[in-house]
Amino acid sequence: MTTTRMTGYDRSMLKLMNDPAGRPLYATAARRRVVVAVHVALTVAMEALVAYIYLANAEPLWAIIATAVLLLPWMVATGVINGATRGLLELRERALDERQSAERRRVLAVSHRAMTLLLASAVAGLLIVGGIGGDALRAYVAPVLIAVLVTHWLMPLWVAGRMAQDEPVEDEALAG
Amino acid sequence: MSEQVHNRLAMVRAERKVSRQSLAEAVGAHYQTIGYIERGQYNPSLDLALKIAKHFELPVEALFSLEPFRPLTDEVYGRKQP
Repeated sequence: MTTTRMTGYDRSMLKLMNDPAGRPLYATAARRRVVVAVHVALTVAMEALVAYIYLANAEPLWAIIATAVLLLPWMVATGVINGATRGLLELRERALDERQSAERRRVLAVSHRAMTLLLASAVAGLLIVGGIGGDALRAYVAPVLIAVLVTHWLMPLWVAGRMAQDEPVEDEALAG
Repeated sequence: MSEQVHNRLAMVRAERKVSRQSLAEAVGAHYQTIGYIERGQYNPSLDLALKIAKHFELPVEALFSLEPFRPLTDEVYGRKQP
């Protein structure tokens, strides 16, 4: 962490990501697992709704409203995971120390491997669907691409949330 | 491929009444990193180990070692190692 080169934005983000207010929500590994699972479920639900909106012939207003409603808890869950990782993926490199930089590289490497598998599955799935029905490939390629893009964007966050460790307990007399 | 580096950081920090947060600020690290070093979950770089040693005005080998540290009472009162 090179505090001399940090900008005002870096310092405010660092403070925000280390805000102790939300700590009870991610204090234990079990709670972090639940938050990540909820975030994955909300993302999948919204991706399914977007795919439905894209594929439906008419404009399904209920699906648009449902997506907007799901967005709020999704944003809260995103904030909780970022809090659990102390902004591992949100902060700029200069606001991280050597352990956090190494942790970020490890998270990105794991995410990259997971995304390679997911992309291979998506391509295989699309090719199989295309082989079965002629028009199906053209119909599904856009929603699948959107879903894969969103997953690619969020995979590091999920991996970081799962890899976050418990807070080291401080001696109360020194915590001051 | 990472060897366990043993340390006496928690003991020295408690003895000098220095919180993780203030030590972290002094050496340019995150307070969690200090905690993970103390728990043996993270081995600091030479740069960070030297900064920590300098902060406590101790030689780096007084804080970090590849061998487990003997209990301080044994060192002070000279009990032989088994």
